This record gives sequence, structure tokens and C-alpha cells, in this order.
Amino acid sequence: MNDASKNETMTFKEQLLEYDRKFRETGCYAGITELKYREDDPLRYESLHTKLRSMTIAAREMARSISASPGVREVGEMVVALYTPEGDAISLSTGIMVHVHTMSRFIKWMIQNGYEESPGICPGDIFANNDAFIGTVQVPDVMVVVPIFYEGELVGWAGTVAHELEVGGITPGGDVYLAQERFTEGLFVTAEKVGYNDELRRDYLIRLERNLRMPIYWMFDDKAKVAANLELRDQVKELIDDVGLDYYKRATREFIEEGRRAQLSRVKQLMVPGRYRGHTFYGHLTEGKPGILPLSDGNLLYSIPLELEVNGDGQMHLDFEGTGSWGYHSMNCTPAGMDGGLFVTLTQSMNYEGKVNDGAWLATDMNLPLGTWTNPDRHTVATATSWALLLPAFGIFQRLLSRGFVSRGFKEEAFVGQVNSPMVEMGGQSQYGDQFGMALFECSAAGSGALGIKDGIDTGYVGWNPESDMGNMEVWEQGIPMLYLGRNITADSGGPGRHRGGTSFTSTWLVHNTDELTIATSEHSSRVFDNAGMCGGYPAPTAHRHFTVRNSNIQQIIDEQKPLPHELGNDPYKSDMERLVEGDMNVIEGPHIDKPLQSGDLFAHSYNGGGGYGDPIERDPLEIVRDVENGYVTAEIAERTHAVVLNHDKERNAWHVDEDATASLRKKTRNGRLNKAVPVEEWIESERERVLERDFVTEVRKMYQDTMGISSRFNEEFREFWRLPKDFVM
Amino acid sequence: MMASYNHDTVRDLIDGRLPWQSTRSIMSQYKDDDRFFKYIDILQERVTFNDPILLPIGEHLYIVAKQGEPQGERVVKCGCGYEFGHYTQNWKLKAAINVRDEEEEIAEIYPGRHSYDPDWMEIREFICPGCATLLEVEAAAPGYPIVFDFLPDLETFYRDWLGQELPAETR
Repeated sequence: MNDASKNETMTFKEQLLEYDRKFRETGCYAGITELKYREDDPLRYESLHTKLRSMTIAAREMARSISASPGVREVGEMVVALYTPEGDAISLSTGIMVHVHTMSRFIKWMIQNGYEESPGICPGDIFANNDAFIGTVQVPDVMVVVPIFYEGELVGWAGTVAHELEVGGITPGGDVYLAQERFTEGLFVTAEKVGYNDELRRDYLIRLERNLRMPIYWMFDDKAKVAANLELRDQVKELIDDVGLDYYKRATREFIEEGRRAQLSRVKQLMVPGRYRGHTFYGHLTEGKPGILPLSDGNLLYSIPLELEVNGDGQMHLDFEGTGSWGYHSMNCTPAGMDGGLFVTLTQSMNYEGKVNDGAWLATDMNLPLGTWTNPDRHTVATATSWALLLPAFGIFQRLLSRGFVSRGFKEEAFVGQVNSPMVEMGGQSQYGDQFGMALFECSAAGSGALGIKDGIDTGYVGWNPESDMGNMEVWEQGIPMLYLGRNITADSGGPGRHRGGTSFTSTWLVHNTDELTIATSEHSSRVFDNAGMCGGYPAPTAHRHFTVRNSNIQQIIDEQKPLPHELGNDPYKSDMERLVEGDMNVIEGPHIDKPLQSGDLFAHSYNGGGGYGDPIERDPLEIVRDVENGYVTAEIAERTHAVVLNHDKERNAWHVDEDATASLRKKTRNGRLNKAVPVEEWIESERERVLERDFVTEVRKMYQDTMGISSRFNEEFREFWRLPKDFVM
Repeated sequence: MMASYNHDTVRDLIDGRLPWQSTRSIMSQYKDDDRFFKYIDILQERVTFNDPILLPIGEHLYIVAKQGEPQGERVVKCGCGYEFGHYTQNWKLKAAINVRDEEEEIAEIYPGRHSYDPDWMEIREFICPGCATLLEVEAAAPGYPIVFDFLPDLETFYRDWLGQELPAETR
């Protein structure tokens, strides 16, 4: 009996279990121990893969023009993918490739939960999901899938995900920052059949219409997703007409097995086996802010350690042991979300030329300790802003991989990593007088970490979408009651280093034509770095302050034609808002959650830059000149951090390096370092006293109490490092 | 065909001095599988010692096989020759450290609104006691143990991945 006829007699669930068994028994996907088709006729085989990939890309591009959301149209927050009948990813479009395995989990979940019997999986059906405990990253990542039947047999699934700009949660927008439990996260579609006969159900559309602040985005996006899926489905069926069903079924599974093998060999090619370790942190400031529910525990600090074990066979094992418990906040993540983080990294660091599919998932595994934010032990936990913790977490993964690349000599691939970039979300009364809600997705173009051989990307990168685009200001102005006064490079926002981190930008707005604008920014670390530098480079500063001016004299400034505040400016102690505008100035630390703004008020928000690479005093002084002249770095930081002395030619507004003074300053800096520094062993002795006295602020002490309680390994390592008595408790 | 680049190209590439178009072209190609030993040769020319480099583990940091006593011992060295001890121990414990946890020192790098909260976080600079190069920066909560960045499996790497013999340690 060949595979095809055998499948016809099995239920979908039996088929799924059969493939799991084959993998367990052979160690190869679907029991494919030989890449037969690839070896027999590589051109035919590669041609099929190329066609499938181009079909997903074409379907995505087509769908983008159906969507009404600037998140999808401008920023490209969408992906289209093809799956096997068992829900394993075969091929993905460009865009948010996060979802290789998140959508896979959704499809598998339906099969495992008996959807074949009820509600039935039939030709023309449409299923949707945004429940991260089933398979997505967060509520706004709404996925729509359709089964592909060929001559009555289920041969695969077409799936599309888009990030919705409004989900109807407790705060407006998509990443609902104030959600503290599932019940306040917004509208859930929990693996539901939302359409049949290729059409979305009317009652489903009515539900969207009546439960969202701005239904047009989600509704049109869903139509775009259905269109993309149907387009992909019909094209795949035509392709099967050409190549034959047996060939299609075997070849697409060989793609996945090849993806698995490619991942292992890529690790062996680029990395060094061994144990890699790193960590980062995340601060959360909500104490006393309006709208915080009684469940919330006030301010908190997360530590996120990551250990990566690279085995001799190229298998990678990621271990998040030692991180903190889930909490009553929106930043928890699910295993599906963590898969998303894994693929964000793998698709950019390792799978960039091969076959991006579920093969890579089979070649890596993760320990997500139960009860931590990476794997909450109850499904009512909020995950609306899971990127807050997962993006910094997988930024560590990027740095650990990069350590291997540097060791191996592939410095051009070393990348200090992604940084979280806070998003501005808002709602209230629009400039047209209607109710509105929206996530302003310009955060999709922040600064990246540095590379091992060059500076990071300035104002053009985020981890979750390698096609980062901030979108045109004019397009955002159509959707929000604010006018841009400026969008500017934020000087000194990249981490210093021989190669500096990419810089971010700051937007400054004038609230316009509204009586009520509620702004709730999301994914905002406070007081601590949620990124890092590498090999002597420093982390990028965390942009955790918001600037508002209420009751401003902006109209008077305009009437008198005085200078407007277009940016925060280069003085880190006094912003242009403070310098140029009169009114009730407020600087809010952490996420902006405050009373509504109205016409005439001002608001400024900064995004994050990336971490640096290498010792900053090794940076080429000529590069510093370029930085200062173009506003990436201030002359003050050039001198203090990079030890470069510049002279300013005021007439030509040009900067020149004073080479002698620079050489002497760099020498002085080196001497100064050694004069100030102490031997690490000495420092450990003095710090040990502090640890024994538990001399830490509440948030830090609580972080240790939590992580030492939830992880016996961290507890042991902590006590061993500081040589603490066995009965020590924080 | 497998890519391969000459010594000067690899040198300029890792130094970030190759024109961007050439760099990009290399990044888009299949990787050159002979990179590792060319890389080691380039690094070996730059260090002040003769001990053969077994594996770089950061900028200026190398696991070497000692020529002096105990011969063959795999220790971590800075490019300047400063020795940090056996590679299975965290080199950072033998470094010098400067911790930025006071306003003035923080402001040298993170002034005003770029600053962090020293009650929640500190910057730890690990400096080579020999040449004062800044080798690594840790951003950590006060009290967080120093991280051991990388413990390579040298035997597996040389024997199974590179197909080369790893010089033996005497003890």
C-alpha cells in the first residue's frame, strides 16, 4: 500500500499520530530517511518548492491590497503559509515568518480535538484563531486557515496571519497593555469555524462589528486572509494537476525533512558545539497608574536567563530555567508564542537561504519551565503583549548564536540582536468625530543591534518583521487624531561600541480635532536594559519616558510664528518640549497610561535602538565624525564614550577629528579604566556582603525570591556563586 | 561550487573594511567552509604571543594551547598576552571590573533621559588588566551572578566538525 491509499482509510487524527510515530522511530520527518525525489530529479524538486514559495508571496501581496489596515498595507504585518494535512509548515511567504509553527499548532490542535467529527473539516470551510494557548503569539495575531481538498482527500492547509490594529480589549489597540487576565484582552476567536462555502459567516462578521472599537481593520483583514488562502489553495490544486498527487505529497514532506537536515548542518557549519549563556531583564512600572486592577502586583522586574546547548549532531537546546513566574499582566507568553520567537531568530540568523519550514523546529528544542511566563500553567493568563518578554528573550538567543559565529570566523553574521520597541496604541474620539481604536505600527522600524563587522541598522529594523517599514506619516495621520510635528533620529539611542547599535527615532505629535484621546503604549521596559551589547559593546538605552504637554500654548506659538518643538532634541536633560512650549508638562516613566489628551496637547514617544559590538574606544574616529554630523551621536558622547576629540567648524557646520588629542584621550581613558577598576574577585567579596544583607530594593528582592523559589537550579547556582549558606533565603 | 576567499579578503571582511557590495555578496553566497583556519591565521598574526590559537571566544579573547609550562594547557588569553586561566573556568573572574551604579558614572554613557535606575540595574565592565581593553559589558540587576558566556566543547568541535586533531593537554 502506498502512502496515498493508506491515508484515505485513516482519520486526520490517526494520520497525525502516524506521522509522529514515524518521526519518533526514524528520527526523520514523516519517516523520510532518504531525500529520494531531491536526489532523483533535483530540478523538478526545486522547481516545485520555488513555485510554492512564489505562490505564498503572490497571495500575500494580493491580500495586502484588500486590507484596510495600514499595519498590513504599509507595514506588511502579514504572512501566508502552506501546511501538510497534519499541520506541518511546508513553505512561507515573506513578512511575519514568526508563524511557521504557531499556525501549525492551531491546525494540529483542531485535528487532535476531534474537529473532523465536529464541527467538521470540509471543502470550503474557514477556521480562525487568536488564542495563544492553542497556537498564536498574542490576541492581535489573528490566523485564518482553510483546508485544501484534492479529489475528496485533505492534502493540506493554506493559512494567513495578520496583526490586527484593534482587538477590543480593556485598553484600545492590538497589544492590550492593561490586560491582566484573559478576560480583559479583547475578542477571542478560539479555533472556530468562521465560514463555509468559501465565505465568512455573517454572524461572525456581526460579532466583529459589534465588539471592536474599529472593526474595519479586523473585518477587512479577515477578507484579505480568506482571499489569500483561497488563491493559494486553488493554485496548489492546479499545481497538483501538473505534478501529480503522489509526487506533491512526497516532495512537500521531503522539503520539511530537508529543512530539518539543513538546520543541523547549518549549525555545524556556523557554530561551535558547547554551552552558551546570557541574560537580559525587563522592568514593568505600573504602580499607581490609572486603570490598574487590584490583581496586579505593582512594579516588577523580570530576569531572563537563557542557556543554549549546541550538541555534536547540530541539535540546539534552549533552556529558560531560572526565569520568573507568570503574572497578572499582559506580558506572559505561551509555548506557541515562544515558537514564534524561535522562528523570528532562526529565519533571520540561520534559515535565510534554505527552506523555511517546520524542519527547523524538529532540529531544535526548548525547555520552557512550567509556571514561568514562558509556559503559564493556566490558560486564563493574559498574553496580549507577550512580545514584551519574548523579544528580549530571543534577543539573547541571537547573541548566543553570534558568539558561535564570531568563534567560527563568520563575523559578518554576528548580530547583537533585536530590541523590543514600544508601540503607541490609542483610542477615543477620532478626528472625524467617531469612536476609534488603533495601534500605531511605526515601531516596526527601530534600531537594530550592531553586526560583528558594521553598525546596526538605523531606524529600519525590528525582530518580528524582517521587512520592517515605519509607514508614511500621512497614512498614520489619516487614522489617528494627531498631526506629526516631527519624526527624528534619536541621538545616542544606539548602544556604543566599535560598531554602534542602530539608532531609533522619536515622534512628536500635536493632538488634533478630538476631545478625548486615550494613549496606552505597550511593551515598554522601564529602568532596566532589556537588550545588551556584545564583546565590549554597551546596551542601547531603554526608551522609557513619555513627554506630554497639556493646556499648551501651541496656538500662540503658531500665531507668533515661533519655533515649534519637532523633536525632544539633543539635550538629554531638557527636551525641546520643555524649552519651547509652555503648559502642564508631564514626564511619564514606563508605559504611558494616563488620562485622555485633547486637541492642542503634545505627545512624544521614542523607540529603542540596538546594542553595540566591541570596545567603543576602538571605533574609527572618522565614523564618529559621520555620526555627529548626521545626528546619530552627540559630540558629548563622542568624547566621553568613544574618547574622540572633535573640533567644530562653525562656519561650515563641519566636524573634524583632533587626532593628537584623540590619541592622548584614548590613552588616558585606558589608564583611567585600570585606575578605577578592581579585580573581579575583590568585587565579588564586597558584593557578597550586600547579598548576605539582602540589600536590594523591593523589586529586585522579589525577583530573586520568585526565581529562587521556582527554579532549584538557579537557587543552587546563586548560592554557589556568592558562597552563601545552604539555608540562605532572599 | 563551494565558496572560498583568500587571506586578504577574509581579513578585510572581518575588519569591516571590505566594500559593502563585496561584503553583501559574500553574505549572500554559500559559506566558505575553509574559513575557520584562515580566520585563525589572521588572528594569530595580530596577537603578541606565539601560543597557537585554538578558538576565539570574543573580540581579543582566545583559547590557546600554551607553549610554556604547563605545555599544551588550554588557557584563555587576551590579544595582549594577559592570561585568564583555564578555559573551563569563567575568564571574567580573573578580569578587572568597573561597575557603573552611580549617577555621575552612568551619565558618562547614559545621560539624562537615557539613564537607567541603579537600584534596579548596573553596568559591569570587564576590563583586561593587561591592556585595559573593554572585553565584555554585562547589564544586570544588582546581585545577579556573573555569567559564564561560553564553554565550548573543543574535542567535539575539532574531532567531529573540523576533522582535525586537537593538540593534547599534558594534564
